[in-house]
Amino acid sequence: MSWIDIGHIDDIPLRGARTVKTHSGCIAVFRTSDAEVFATGNACPHKGGPLSEGIVHGTRVTCPLHNMVFDLATGQAQGADTATIATYPVRIEEGRLLLDAAALSPSQAAA
Amino acid sequence: MMDVAVDTPVKTFIQVSEVWVPRDGRLVLAEGDYGTLDAFAEASRHASFAKGEGLPGKAWADQRPVVLKGFDGSYFKRIEAAAEAGLTSAVAIPVFDLDELKAVLVVLCGDDDNRTGAIEIWRESDDLLMLDDGYYGAAKHFEWISQHTHFPRGQGLPGAVWASLTPILMRDLGSGYRFIRADSAGKAGLTTGLGLPVPSPSGETCVLTLLSARGTPIARRFEIWDARPARVGKTGGAELIDGICAREGRLWDEDNPRKAAAWQGHIGRVLGTGLPLAERGGPGLVAGYDSIVALPVHLNGHLSHIVAWYC
Amino acid sequence: MKRKLVIIGAGMASGRALEHLLEADADGFDITLFNAEPRGNYNRIMLSPVLSGEKSYEEIVTHDADWYAAHGVTCRFGEKVLRVDRDRKVVVGENGEVPYDQLIFGTGSSAFIVPVPGHDLPGVVAFRDLEDTTAMTNASGTPGGRAVVIGGGLLGLEAAAALRMRGMEVTVLHIASHLMERQLDPAAGYLLKKDLERRGITVLLEASTKEIVGEGRAQQVNLADGTELPCDIVVMAVGIRPAVALAQDSGLDCGRAIKVDAQMRTSDPNVFAVGECVEFNGNLFGLVAPLYDQAKVLAATLTGAEATFAMKELSTKLKVTGCDLFSAGDFAEGDTREDIVFRDPGRGIYKRLVIEGDRLIGAVMYGDTADGNWFFGLIKDGTDISEMRETLIFGPAFQGGAPVDPMAAVAALPPEAEICGCNGVCKGTITQAIAGGATTLDDIRATTKASASCGTCTGLVEQVLAVTLGDDFVIPAAKGICGCTDLTHEDVRRLIKSQELKSQEAVWQELGWSTRNGCHVCRPAINFYLLADWPLDYKDDRQSRFVNERNHANIQKDGTYSVVPRMWGGVTTPDELRAIADAADKYNVPMVKVTGGQRIDLLGVSKDDLPAMWADLNDAGLVSGHAYSKGLRTVKTCVGSQFCRFGTQDSTGLGIRLEKILWGSWTPHKVKLGVSGCPRNCAEATCKDVGIICVDSGFEISVAGAAGMEVKETEPLAKVATEDEAVEYTTAFVQLYREHARYLDRPYKWVAKVGLDWVVDQIADAAARRALVDRFEISQSVYRTDPWAEHARPSERPAWQPLADLTLEAAE
Repeated sequence: MSWIDIGHIDDIPLRGARTVKTHSGCIAVFRTSDAEVFATGNACPHKGGPLSEGIVHGTRVTCPLHNMVFDLATGQAQGADTATIATYPVRIEEGRLLLDAAALSPSQAAA
Repeated sequence: MMDVAVDTPVKTFIQVSEVWVPRDGRLVLAEGDYGTLDAFAEASRHASFAKGEGLPGKAWADQRPVVLKGFDGSYFKRIEAAAEAGLTSAVAIPVFDLDELKAVLVVLCGDDDNRTGAIEIWRESDDLLMLDDGYYGAAKHFEWISQHTHFPRGQGLPGAVWASLTPILMRDLGSGYRFIRADSAGKAGLTTGLGLPVPSPSGETCVLTLLSARGTPIARRFEIWDARPARVGKTGGAELIDGICAREGRLWDEDNPRKAAAWQGHIGRVLGTGLPLAERGGPGLVAGYDSIVALPVHLNGHLSHIVAWYC
Repeated sequence: MKRKLVIIGAGMASGRALEHLLEADADGFDITLFNAEPRGNYNRIMLSPVLSGEKSYEEIVTHDADWYAAHGVTCRFGEKVLRVDRDRKVVVGENGEVPYDQLIFGTGSSAFIVPVPGHDLPGVVAFRDLEDTTAMTNASGTPGGRAVVIGGGLLGLEAAAALRMRGMEVTVLHIASHLMERQLDPAAGYLLKKDLERRGITVLLEASTKEIVGEGRAQQVNLADGTELPCDIVVMAVGIRPAVALAQDSGLDCGRAIKVDAQMRTSDPNVFAVGECVEFNGNLFGLVAPLYDQAKVLAATLTGAEATFAMKELSTKLKVTGCDLFSAGDFAEGDTREDIVFRDPGRGIYKRLVIEGDRLIGAVMYGDTADGNWFFGLIKDGTDISEMRETLIFGPAFQGGAPVDPMAAVAALPPEAEICGCNGVCKGTITQAIAGGATTLDDIRATTKASASCGTCTGLVEQVLAVTLGDDFVIPAAKGICGCTDLTHEDVRRLIKSQELKSQEAVWQELGWSTRNGCHVCRPAINFYLLADWPLDYKDDRQSRFVNERNHANIQKDGTYSVVPRMWGGVTTPDELRAIADAADKYNVPMVKVTGGQRIDLLGVSKDDLPAMWADLNDAGLVSGHAYSKGLRTVKTCVGSQFCRFGTQDSTGLGIRLEKILWGSWTPHKVKLGVSGCPRNCAEATCKDVGIICVDSGFEISVAGAAGMEVKETEPLAKVATEDEAVEYTTAFVQLYREHARYLDRPYKWVAKVGLDWVVDQIADAAARRALVDRFEISQSVYRTDPWAEHARPSERPAWQPLADLTLEAAE
């Protein structure tokens, strides 16, 4: 794997998210607690709502447009909904956020 | 079949039950069940007792239950009103939580020649329980037997209560199953016995027994609730560990005991306040009954059990 | 065609099987029941309280003659079965044959009698059935009678305690070095021995019985060590022996008991066995739980359903009043096992947990058994306990916050405490109504008016009903805010105030939230309640706000935002308009629209541009219009007396003044005002949350209008003479709404719940009104500020950009 430094953990508000622009679309990076982050696709599969603008609770996010809830670890929609969002490997090293570059190539994202 | 039998009005052994609580250094009436004795109720409402004064005050000062038979010339304060109401005897039971007096439950009886039952106080003496005093109504022979009986730890209803520090309900006193004073109890018509520990700040534990007869019952329904955290957990509440009811039969269920939550209903109120209650009528009373008396037992700083009886 | 079913033995297992069978197929079987005892079925495990006198036989009967008759079971009680002829498929009883299609052995067990000399003397009894119990009761009738109980297991100890209660001198002989060695470890066995000794029972351990001697009856027990114990009765309680003679004679495959498969079938496919006479995979059964499992499986098998019996962990309790012990699972020591021990010598409490790997495999408890079933569940389910290992011994209450009980608070309220604020009904009035026969919420509403105009206190009234009526009143299923809590909005608002909860963490913890930090439903509500009640202690949490309020702009369906600068009272200037036009040009705003609130909306702005655009607008003196917030939106005005020939007062000036006071405040839902200079009402004030109509003599203030999905005219709040009063009344109303309404209720909904009368009363009281205004001002000392200016600061701007742009890097 090749890891890309995308910023510092403190750049993301606690229980909030920031986006990362990539060639294969926008990725949302969520911070669910002091040292817990997740990365997923930013667009809600329902109507394209920006998930990075949703309310983050536990390890879930609620889409700001129509309240679809996703588990950030699995990408699975919760409750009766069945949609899935892409998830990407992300890790923290001495406060720096590292995103797996391999997962970002267009072919990977499409798969 | 049973309903017909029990729903005919019966004369009860206890005619008045009242709860006195300390307020500004005196005992005042919190509530009471006076049946139809309105004048006595009125007299009681205006009474209050200092420590050592009158029957409730004496139970407070002595830190143990007190039996008083015959009010004339005694320290009893409401003699005239009691005489008019036909009341002749009373038992006062103090409820202590460690050193703190929570309340005094007083029960009054009368019509001695026609009502049978027993309210007894047993006290420890030389590692035996001896009868301290008791009120028996018409059960004179049984009274005499009891005065000449003592109980080692674990034996009989008083001894078992003493050893286990748990209220106990015994069935069929005097029938084929042998209660220690069975023969005499049988002749007196005593059927059900409820025993409970009455802890005192002095560390001495008394045992109170209520023995109920069929004709003039102390109650037609008895309940014992266990409220110890060691039994019900830290969330509180109580479980009905034993009980019998003239209408419903057995009230206990080994696998699925009835539960009471603090502040809900009568038992819940006792759980919440830690005080005894004596109520006639009113909402929430078990169907088929007119009155309830519930008495908490506080052990080691916790409300451990509640006994309740219904008429 | 009914199948002919014969059951031999009316015991607890066969009785339970019969119940299941009749439940599943009441008409499928023609049943004949043989029982050697001349009576029906009773709960054998409750015999010891019958022996002590704490229960009567009638109370432990499970199936009497009436029950069998009602279910069409033919009873052959008191009749011995002589043999079973499997070739002819008949059971031969003393009074004749009964043919069967299927046969069940429920022959149970008999007591194991230690074959010491004298074991067959009269006065040596077992403790298995009612006859044994009666024999012991009779023996206890002798004053000063003495009993020797051989066997310090469950049954022996229950018998010993019961006989002691009966008034006997009791000695327990136990062969092992501690009591109940199969269920307890030595420490718990020690406490149990002490407990029994406190009841006056003598316990002799490692006591080996040599013989029982006596003239015509048992009079003394002699031990191997020479001890002599005079007695009137000897109780043998050392174990059970399955009753299998009949099955063996019938040629069924038997080991120590009748061998069955997991469907309770014996070696003969038409013959089944259940209960203590059964051997399954080499195991025998004595405790009741597996017998009931077998009964269920057997009934299923007979009715053609699939079921399989499996061995499960067992738990033990001792039925001696005042002895609290519990044991479950396996607690032998071992290299791979770890113990957790808790002792409280003062209270006589001992608890030991045995852990292997990450699983709890055994638990022994003495003196405090409250958590017994919880531990038993962990053992049975094989739960991974690694997460809670440190606190495991303290039980489930320690594993999460204790649930909050709003009931206790309600019960503790004095009778004069006000329950229904809307109609001024106190607790005593409600309890009186209940005493008068009211048993439902509707009754209370009809008789007292409590909760009749408002939803807010419904929960409280229901709690008063529950507190007063106990079991007779069931509170309707909790309408919790969301899945995170059972508490209602009203409960939470009340508890935040009464328990002085001033942070989200305090709410989650003290109110027992089931989630880490709420969800998108409850968190915005809690955030609002906290900031409304504790404006100086609690800081508004952006991450608990919906996107519009977090980004101070309205998100559009394409992910862009709309920007609406505030125009005080709908009044603007050429400079402001120029600045707006410049911003629209500079940031390529695709649409500029005039809103219904007398201002201008710039639609289609990308998030990245927001801070810069705000900065530009700020430079022209424009601030956020809060077009996105649950807070003050607009104050719509007409031109009023300054220009209009009909105007009676300066409606524009009043509108601007109100807007300058109210702006920036958070409210449960959005708030819109209108001020019209005369009754012609050009500002459409009478469909606003607060509408003011100026008249010659002053100002008519009305509230609770709506012009959305619902349309509703405002209702009069007050008529005042001066502009200052109009401002004061309006501010007080907004604060009252902030303090009492449920999150996301518009004022008209809230007023409908609490009743306009109550609102009028609150506002009419001068002291209360001023207090409301004061509290509003305290809150506004924090919130009357422009959020755009804050976020447009250079230090804040990076946060509005993507964290990283990997498209650029890839291009390099």
